[in-house]
Amino acid sequence: MQLTYLEAIRQGIWEEMERDPTVFCLGEDIGIYGGAFKVTDGFIDRFGPERVIDTPIAESAIVGAAFGASLTGMRPVAEFQFMDFIGCAFNQISNMVAKTHYLWGAPAPLVLRGPSGGYVHGGPFHSQNPEMWFVHNPGLKVICPATPYDAKGLIKAAIRDNNPCIFFEHKYLYRRIKEEVPADDYVVPIGKARIAREGRDLSIITYAAMVHTALEAAEILSKEGIDLEILDLRTVSPLDRAAIAETVKKTNKVILLHEHSRTGGLAGEIAAIINEEAFDDLDGPIVRIAGLDSAIPFSPPQEHHYLPKVEDVVREARRLKAY
Amino acid sequence: MGNKKAKSKPNSNGNRPRNGSRATKANVGTAVNGRAANVGTAAPGRSGERSSTGSPNQQTRTYSIPDYRLEHPDFTVRQRVEKDRDGAEHVRYEVEGNLDAPVPPIRNSKYLDKKQAIDIYRYMLLNRKMEVALENLYKQGKVVGGVYFGLGQEACSCASSYALDKDDWFAPMIRNQGSLLVRGFRASDTMMQYMAKADSPTKGRDGTSHFGDIEKRNMVSPISMLGDLIPVMSGVALGARLQGRNIAVMTYIGDGGQSTGVTYEGINFAAVQNLGLVLFVESNLWAYSTPSEMQYRCHDLAERAIGYGIPGVIVDGTDACQVYDAAHEAVERAHRGEGPTLIEAKMMRMKGHAIHDAAAYVPKQMMEYWKKRDPIARFENYLVQEKKWLTPKENEVLIAEVEKVIEAEREIAVNSPMPTPESAEGGVFCEHGCHEIKPKYGVPKVKKGTGGYKETEAAVHLK
Repeated sequence: MQLTYLEAIRQGIWEEMERDPTVFCLGEDIGIYGGAFKVTDGFIDRFGPERVIDTPIAESAIVGAAFGASLTGMRPVAEFQFMDFIGCAFNQISNMVAKTHYLWGAPAPLVLRGPSGGYVHGGPFHSQNPEMWFVHNPGLKVICPATPYDAKGLIKAAIRDNNPCIFFEHKYLYRRIKEEVPADDYVVPIGKARIAREGRDLSIITYAAMVHTALEAAEILSKEGIDLEILDLRTVSPLDRAAIAETVKKTNKVILLHEHSRTGGLAGEIAAIINEEAFDDLDGPIVRIAGLDSAIPFSPPQEHHYLPKVEDVVREARRLKAY
Repeated sequence: MGNKKAKSKPNSNGNRPRNGSRATKANVGTAVNGRAANVGTAAPGRSGERSSTGSPNQQTRTYSIPDYRLEHPDFTVRQRVEKDRDGAEHVRYEVEGNLDAPVPPIRNSKYLDKKQAIDIYRYMLLNRKMEVALENLYKQGKVVGGVYFGLGQEACSCASSYALDKDDWFAPMIRNQGSLLVRGFRASDTMMQYMAKADSPTKGRDGTSHFGDIEKRNMVSPISMLGDLIPVMSGVALGARLQGRNIAVMTYIGDGGQSTGVTYEGINFAAVQNLGLVLFVESNLWAYSTPSEMQYRCHDLAERAIGYGIPGVIVDGTDACQVYDAAHEAVERAHRGEGPTLIEAKMMRMKGHAIHDAAAYVPKQMMEYWKKRDPIARFENYLVQEKKWLTPKENEVLIAEVEKVIEAEREIAVNSPMPTPESAEGGVFCEHGCHEIKPKYGVPKVKKGTGGYKETEAAVHLK
């Protein structure tokens, strides 16, 4: 059936709640209201207020309670109304949840999920991509799907995983993209990238909404005879090192594209992996396209300037192709 | 351990009226009792606070916090500038108030029998002697890092956790090493943690009381950040309730730690969800070097319970009977599905923050005052002299037995090897079937509504 990105996530959680009585949801306004973006719309009627819990506006309590429940063998799915607010729970995630298995051997099968990302004029506190705060925290799996198929398969995989997973849903994609999603039960493996477009001239390594930006650029460039390969990481921690190396070895030129700020961004880490795994295969400099080193501004012209655009990818690809 | 507990069916989450009519029949606190519109006095303030006044039409609510102490220490710490012999000025803490009050008797327990009382006394002895052994290990250079002590707080740690049932959960803080002993961990576990040994519960990966056990002893590992255990323990109770069980989840916080925001979030979450949190607040007067006067403004931290809409109670933290009774009643409330309880225990931390800290900032008279209220000496006197549940000879035998146990535990700990360097690797993730995740108290019984899956309407938020 044709599903939007949001509907795919919603269906994935719904199916897991149908399948496994230890799965439950908690978060702000997720019950009768159905969540700020309606991801849990109708859940409370089906699964009851015991399993669809409206919480106080207290992110540390939400994460702490989800973690505590996971220690008793439950599989909580906690919603952040916007992923920007995950900062309020940072200590719980970084110092409590992420370190638990390494330090004292307790598994914490919980999912923290919510909308992130720009292009919707949400301003500095409703548009961030805070995934890098967690990539630098060993013990967490960080997932950022780009398509409805992956979104559904990955949310189901995250719920079934025995580790804390942070699931970033790109809010720009929520209802803008639609694709055929199989009705039967499936999961997409965490930690595995996929080739979103095969090509031979240069590789773009990216994820989430930027996959679609890269695909648009690829269409434009194909008319000029430049054939882009696009690697969709899908999971940003742990990274699929093999897939990164493989695409670089194939095309020998690479652009790293992400929405969040450039400094300390994921591109730096991927560049280091390429350096370690495929240095001799490079025929040009590793190019980064990323958000500015500032907060994400509110006003549409400013936000547009801050975020990576199709024309940025086209320009940099032409430059790198000619190198 | 403890008495047989009444079990009850779990409540559904949070769907209860927000009023004061749920005042419990138990003796533990009824902070929310009588939100009647009486004209009365406000909660007692620290000196100089204004009392409640108002127009004749003004309604003033009254609340009460049960206080089971047999004395009410009355002194205040403040900063004062002193001049030394050379005329140089130094800021020091000074204490003002009545520091000559006689030591009160132990309050007879409503619940403890002879065997249980002696059992708690033995744990308190184990707790102290384990910490003496740790101090010696430190002096011998066998400890990695520092040592934290619960000196003066043994009644709090041991008598509180003694009130828990086997299926209940707990999470100690750094000064509750006695709780670990009560819950079945060995002294060598804690000693090996301090010595960073390969056989320590965390296999060298963390020290102190930072370890846990979700399988047998139902313990969540503390972290160094204060207050974070409170929402976590609330979540443990939530998980158990979804599996059909009302359990008690006990954790601790100090007068310093309760200043954190997550403390508020955690208690409030337990309150609105009506979860069986037993929060044991140890008001030990010093948060590292900062006195409680600079930590909070209300008279007693138990008053905070009123703001949360939960029962609060005050006990003397050097009286094991008071500690046990309050903990027992709070645990019983949790088992009946009646929600959280805040217990404030008053005592003083009798050493520095950790072994490096001589606590020179604590005014000497305060130290003298609380030395007379040593929880173990008081309980010993109660058991031997007052109740005559132990003869002096039996007491001697007990003390000797505890010392022997600690010596044996020390041997085990000292003889454990250090971990290999490579053992730093691995275990970041639960993978390759290292754990099987299953509900601890049984598969949740789920009820499903008739509503099937329907696609959603477009959201209004940020189209």
